[in-house]
Amino acid sequence: MQKKTIVIDPVTRIEGHAKITIDISEEGVVEDAKIHVTQYRGFEKFCEGRPYTEMPALTARTCGICPVSHVVSATKAIDEILGVTPPKAGVNIRKIVNLAQMLQSHTLNFYHLSSPDFIYGFDAPKEDRNIFKMMQTHPQMARDGINLRAFGQKIIEDLAGKRIHPTGIIPGGASHKIEESTKEAILEQVPAMLKIAQSALEFFRDNLHKFQEEIDYLGAFPSLFMAITNDEGTLEHYDGKLCFMDSEGNILKDKIEPRDYKEFIGEAVEDFSYLKSPYYKPLGYPQGMYRVGALARVNIAKTCGTPLADKELIKFKALNDGKPVLNTFYYHYARLIEMIYAIEKIEELLKCDETMSDNVRSTSTVSYERGVGCSEAPRGTLFHEYHVTKDGIITGVNLIIATGNNNLAMNAGVKQVAQRFVDPKNITDGALNRVEAVIRCFDPCLSCSTHALGIVSSKVEIRDHNKKIIKVFERS
Amino acid sequence: MRVIIGYGNELRGEDAFGVDTIKKLQKLSLKNTKLLSLHQLTPEIVLQLLDANEIIFIDASYDEKNHYALACSLTEQDNLNLSHHISPKTIIYMLNNLYKNMPKFLIYSMMSRNFDTIEDTLRYQECVDAVALYLSLEGQKN
Repeated sequence: MQKKTIVIDPVTRIEGHAKITIDISEEGVVEDAKIHVTQYRGFEKFCEGRPYTEMPALTARTCGICPVSHVVSATKAIDEILGVTPPKAGVNIRKIVNLAQMLQSHTLNFYHLSSPDFIYGFDAPKEDRNIFKMMQTHPQMARDGINLRAFGQKIIEDLAGKRIHPTGIIPGGASHKIEESTKEAILEQVPAMLKIAQSALEFFRDNLHKFQEEIDYLGAFPSLFMAITNDEGTLEHYDGKLCFMDSEGNILKDKIEPRDYKEFIGEAVEDFSYLKSPYYKPLGYPQGMYRVGALARVNIAKTCGTPLADKELIKFKALNDGKPVLNTFYYHYARLIEMIYAIEKIEELLKCDETMSDNVRSTSTVSYERGVGCSEAPRGTLFHEYHVTKDGIITGVNLIIATGNNNLAMNAGVKQVAQRFVDPKNITDGALNRVEAVIRCFDPCLSCSTHALGIVSSKVEIRDHNKKIIKVFERS
Repeated sequence: MRVIIGYGNELRGEDAFGVDTIKKLQKLSLKNTKLLSLHQLTPEIVLQLLDANEIIFIDASYDEKNHYALACSLTEQDNLNLSHHISPKTIIYMLNNLYKNMPKFLIYSMMSRNFDTIEDTLRYQECVDAVALYLSLEGQKN
């Protein structure tokens, strides 16, 4: 058999643009598979020369789905440069907005991008496996997704000015206090939103038995996990220290100050993708592959710190007898737990008296030449590092985007799925859908390094060893 | 109620056509009309459209050959490659199927070949003014 390459381009139902290649050996078996992020953004370079004050707004434009994460990490980096500690109210406003974004982002992945697979199965005809069919057969579920996302987006708008690219999170804290009426309006919706999030988790758990093969083969492998965590070891998304855990649950290194991240994280570059391949330095490349995001966070966290999410976390941790859950498919499960957590935590923070204080911002001038801001974005740990002149002009930027941390693991997952499900002699749509689905498990935000494109169909090309196309599959 | 939605990215040149048209319309105090200015269309927008009996989408469309041409279309190519933003057709589909609201809808587009800058400020503004004036007059008829 001739050596072939299968190309899936673009990958659908993810944030951003990517393609997948699957290499078939001369023996007729899947030899390798890779995810390629095919567009270059260049934020690290074109931010140079700008005043530091522009960085939150500039870097928010990295993405339309998780701009809050970039604003939060950017303002935290600038806090370090200014040498300021934001007041408690400012910190809590940032935390609430960050959680609201995580909620709306996880909601989008579950209801709009992934639920067609859960409802109809990975082998369902592609005409049925989409959100339009889901709206016909599960209208209440679709409405739930809309309501939950609207809840998160409205919080971002009310507390930070705009739903997309918000401006209310600023260096030193937040731009304005929370109005009492806003607080009451949010709190009034909490019970209904919790009910929706709980029913989503129940639906997912009730259907898990249908997906045992996906659980076992959609990126199920040992890896390290990284997340930020606080002193108590509870789930944390805004502040804390970095922690690396291995696949057995051993802590390799914790209490790492985010500003020291370069001592532990290396950034490799491969010629097939514009996405960096970060790795845990002490283990080298690529052995230092680690996973970030919801799965890593709930694996590392001892508790969530909120009652309903903690109940779910106990069930989750029982999946692997208390050891880290290694199945990438369970990213979905972890995100659903985080959705419940986010709603509970937003309620807790809003009910905290200090959150409603008028004192929301500290001010200062440039005091340090370097600042690192780190937070947990929906998809994982996000780093912004800035260098400035004494006048506050940016001279250097390094960004490690949350999704980038997962690059090595995504590639490992794609390869595992392709080797399990893709039969080069009979390439089915269900098999190709699973190759895409493993990427959807990670919920990558490739928009952070690319623009999402409005291309209607996926094309799968089979090429011989001379790169000549010998067969084309059109997928919609 | 009539709802007019202008959407686009103000930092991407002529992609701001919809947003700039909404700015113009905001100065005209249209009756029985809700104006929405958005960066992009997202699913939860439907909750602001439940009372609409007519929805007008204003956007810029990429077209190399017919720069600054204006088009009004009842249909548009749908995009099943769902990401965090969705198409007007999906919005209407959601309203029809989830909320049993069947509004009339129209899409007004300005053809553009440049989403990096506004190539010809005068012609761009003429397009904004033309669509705003037309929608204003249409609103007075109803």
